[in-house]
Amino acid sequence: MNESVRTAPTEVTRPKYVGEKVQRLEDPRLLTGAGRYVADIKLERMVHLAFVRSDQSHARILGIDADDARAMTGVIAVLTAEDFTNIADLTAPSRMKNYHATHCPILARDVVRYVGEPVAVVVARDRYLAEDAAALIVVDYEGIEAASDPVAALKPEAVQLHDNVPGNLVFERSFATGDAPGEIDAAPHSVRGTFRLRRKSPLAIENRAYVAEYDRGRDALTLHGSTQIPGVVRDELARLLDMPGNRIRVTAPDVGGGFGGKGSLYPEEVIVTALARRLERPVKYVSDRLEDLTSTSQGFDEVVEATLAFDDEGRFLALQADIIGDIGAYSIIPWTAALEPVQVASFLPGPYRTPAYLGRVRGVCTPKPPTGPYRGVGRPMAVFAMERLVDMAAAKLGLDPAESRRRNLVRPQDFPFRIGSGIRWDHSGFMECLEKAVEVVDLDGFRDRQAKAREQGRWLGIGIGTYAELTGIGSRIAVAPGMPINTGAETASVRIDATGAVTATFATASHGQSLETTLAQIVAEELGVRPGDVTVVQGDTAVTAHGTGTYASRSAVIGGGAAIVTTRVLVKKVKRVAARLFDVDPDSIQTGDGDIFVPGTNHRIGFGELARAVYSDMTTLPMEARETLEAQESYDPFLGTTTAATHIAEVEIDPETLAIRLTRFLVAEDCGRMINPMVVDGQVHGGVVQGIGVALMEELHFDEAGQLLSASLADYLIPTSAEVPMLEVHHLETELPDNPGGFRGMGEGGTIGAPAAIANAVADAIAHLGIGINNLPITPSKLHALIAETQKTE
Amino acid sequence: MKPAPFEYLRPRTLHEAIAALAHDDAKILAGGQSLVPMMNFRLVSPERLVDINGLSDLATISETGGSLRIGALVRHAQAARDPLLARHLPVVAETMAHVAHVAIRNRGTIGGSLVHADPSAEWPLLVRLLDGVLELLGPDGQRAVAPEDFFIAPLVTDLAEDEVLTGVLLPVPDPDMGMAFDEVSLRAGDFAMVACGANVMLDDGRIASARLAFGGLGDVPLRMEAVEAALVGQTPDAIAGIVADCAEGLDPNEDMHASVAYRRRLAPVLARRVLERAAGRAGGRT
Repeated sequence: MNESVRTAPTEVTRPKYVGEKVQRLEDPRLLTGAGRYVADIKLERMVHLAFVRSDQSHARILGIDADDARAMTGVIAVLTAEDFTNIADLTAPSRMKNYHATHCPILARDVVRYVGEPVAVVVARDRYLAEDAAALIVVDYEGIEAASDPVAALKPEAVQLHDNVPGNLVFERSFATGDAPGEIDAAPHSVRGTFRLRRKSPLAIENRAYVAEYDRGRDALTLHGSTQIPGVVRDELARLLDMPGNRIRVTAPDVGGGFGGKGSLYPEEVIVTALARRLERPVKYVSDRLEDLTSTSQGFDEVVEATLAFDDEGRFLALQADIIGDIGAYSIIPWTAALEPVQVASFLPGPYRTPAYLGRVRGVCTPKPPTGPYRGVGRPMAVFAMERLVDMAAAKLGLDPAESRRRNLVRPQDFPFRIGSGIRWDHSGFMECLEKAVEVVDLDGFRDRQAKAREQGRWLGIGIGTYAELTGIGSRIAVAPGMPINTGAETASVRIDATGAVTATFATASHGQSLETTLAQIVAEELGVRPGDVTVVQGDTAVTAHGTGTYASRSAVIGGGAAIVTTRVLVKKVKRVAARLFDVDPDSIQTGDGDIFVPGTNHRIGFGELARAVYSDMTTLPMEARETLEAQESYDPFLGTTTAATHIAEVEIDPETLAIRLTRFLVAEDCGRMINPMVVDGQVHGGVVQGIGVALMEELHFDEAGQLLSASLADYLIPTSAEVPMLEVHHLETELPDNPGGFRGMGEGGTIGAPAAIANAVADAIAHLGIGINNLPITPSKLHALIAETQKTE
Repeated sequence: MKPAPFEYLRPRTLHEAIAALAHDDAKILAGGQSLVPMMNFRLVSPERLVDINGLSDLATISETGGSLRIGALVRHAQAARDPLLARHLPVVAETMAHVAHVAIRNRGTIGGSLVHADPSAEWPLLVRLLDGVLELLGPDGQRAVAPEDFFIAPLVTDLAEDEVLTGVLLPVPDPDMGMAFDEVSLRAGDFAMVACGANVMLDDGRIASARLAFGGLGDVPLRMEAVEAALVGQTPDAIAGIVADCAEGLDPNEDMHASVAYRRRLAPVLARRVLERAAGRAGGRT
């Protein structure tokens, strides 16, 4: 094999996979029904759970009568809080000053604090029986007053939800640069508004589901969970159940969406796992849609009162905001209650050069389901409020909204730029995205059409949403301030096994992000194989020491970065071994398309032959040259990288029915180097559709007593294909970020920009009525009320 | 979201079905598009389900003595593409496009929609608009009920617990009658916030007779007889003025998606649009 024969030089073009529209590797499995979700798991002697959930928002539990349920044939056990005294309450500690961590028992103890909180659990032979038994359980409640509105909950007379949270104020924090109040007083102009995004549900198509199995011989537990964060769940379970991590394995098999709702630890996960060990039987719990709408973490829910001051030319001088975040009954684990509201305050200044900023944020607990991460986290609210203020400021000066943004966006020469909250933007195409979007949409042409339509009594509107977000956040920055865990690093292992097959292992947990394809593309390109040759293993704590999962637009940047640095180490090993086989200099060796070769020679072997030489064939290589074909490296970007975009929405409102129809939606975004343009498009499309929901229909309605009124998909309305126009996506690559792949995260942006763009478009369509859109979602019925109110005051 | 235990019977004849209903707590299962979700939520927990899907005689549409008989087991999708209905009552197909989504239209039945009696549903409104007659069969034989007597309140009808709705008779209208239907819902396929149907006969450019009916504006489908009377003798140009105040005096329900005031706003808009469309279609086939 080491005999060299020179052949005629041939042009070697190594296939590039990063940036290519590679077909998704998970699709054949998922599209032919061969996917395996938690609900598909069926095990011998498996038992099923049904929870009795509180129908009161705030009440004392006087008694629980479960005698009839326990007596039912097929019922194995009924358990309440007193059966779990050995398991600590769930708490999310924070290093933030003045933070009051709530204590959440895994089953309500003495007091319930939201409708949907688990109070008792039935274990039965099947879910039907479990629900029959649950229906027989009588919980005796004594109602307690409570303020379900966050502003009311802050009032001195409000009833306190937790003994250890004075005044229901879980935390308070301020960001200040310069003297914003003074600047606002001195400024020639300012605009002011109170903005509100209503609570929404992440609403993954697959409800949360868990199966736990117990291996009595090894005293080991496995939890199969529909989760985005198997690593976090494993670490928390190890602590709560007081077991070493190597005897608790958490897997996330195929997962049907998360959007943040599967990004936290839930009481049900702890209960399922603990019961599997206690009963020494597999335990299954698949939540239903009603439970999903009442007990999966919810998103947004802030009131933002903000003022923007500017000079005669429309240049921003100062921004001040008072933000109240309704965190619900308990702070979410591990992110803490600060996650969502604090991000509103820290991202409010957005992509603009506003010299002075004062942002004050308070997190308030109310008797409603906990809020948690939801696609966009904080930014949809921040961008909605800021972009409305930008349009209001433009209107006040008679400026074109695009021109107002042009005058204030961070310019290419300003990067890196630190905004008033302290966030640092690295170079990203802020201005370029705006200019591209404005050019494609033909703003002047639209204004002509709008004027003509107005003459015919038709209301057209156009709206811009420009934003920047921080993605792929490294260990220097906490995803949530003061939270106790590190999410800034990823470790990859890439291994060529004895058959020559390539397996790449990550601690990510793809639940729709196409990571099996995109991470395979990266490994394949670096290693010189085809993407289909690479099996990506993820979502299994048994194969990684540490890792948190997939959320916060991190997996492409951090996981992809880890894939690159790891594969580069492995390629060096491959070349060293092949160099011994070919008897050439390692630097002369190339890999590509599944082959290892020396260009211009007949030295060419496949990865299978290389693996045989290393692992199986004891004669070809001396022992010291048989390097294990495996590498493991970590990557931590330390800081994060900035993704920017401009969204433009066009709407037409029927002046009679006030029906709001989205007629066009356009995105110009800079996510750095694309790994797979189809996947980028898919992520943008999905994000925008959720943003359309935020803007036009999705709302969890609660009555004053904290009862959820929109408790089914007949009342909690999400966009369908009929409500979504064709989505145009334009990709810009300005300056690549300083990370191994040049990638920027882009999983959340669609949801961040769309609500603001649509709100501005609706406001533009009804500008002649003198009405602003400061509450989302905006619906025809609400629009009618706004118009009626304006006409009344006129 | 699992139903409570129930007994399941699948009769082969109407006679067997009536016999099976002789029980304290029995419900008929047809398309299951309302009943099954309600059972899964345990909002209803019937002890016995009588599945009539085997009674294929009820799944037909036929012409009989100047009327069309639509069997209770006819699916919305079947009605939407039926040639007899297309010839005589094209408004049915126009209306069916608004009934939920394809999957629901393929399963859901006309009988189910009528006996469920949701105030926003399309079939109760259509039967009221088109002067239909509901045919009920019970242990004591058959009876025919007019829609104004059948629909009593939201989800409440005149159907006795031991009766089956077998079908509905819709008179074949004058071929020159113009008919139209429209509704406003938040999303395509949602229950209507307000639904409206109208038919108009013209004589020499003037309205000879008109029908106007609303769904979603009251507890049951409403016929707007005063508006109908005011339209007679007028030209279609006068429609807008005549319907302008048609929501006054109505007391629609409010829900989280549509306020009373918003529903009142929609009523004259839909009435005008639907009446004008019907008038435009009157006087000949369209």
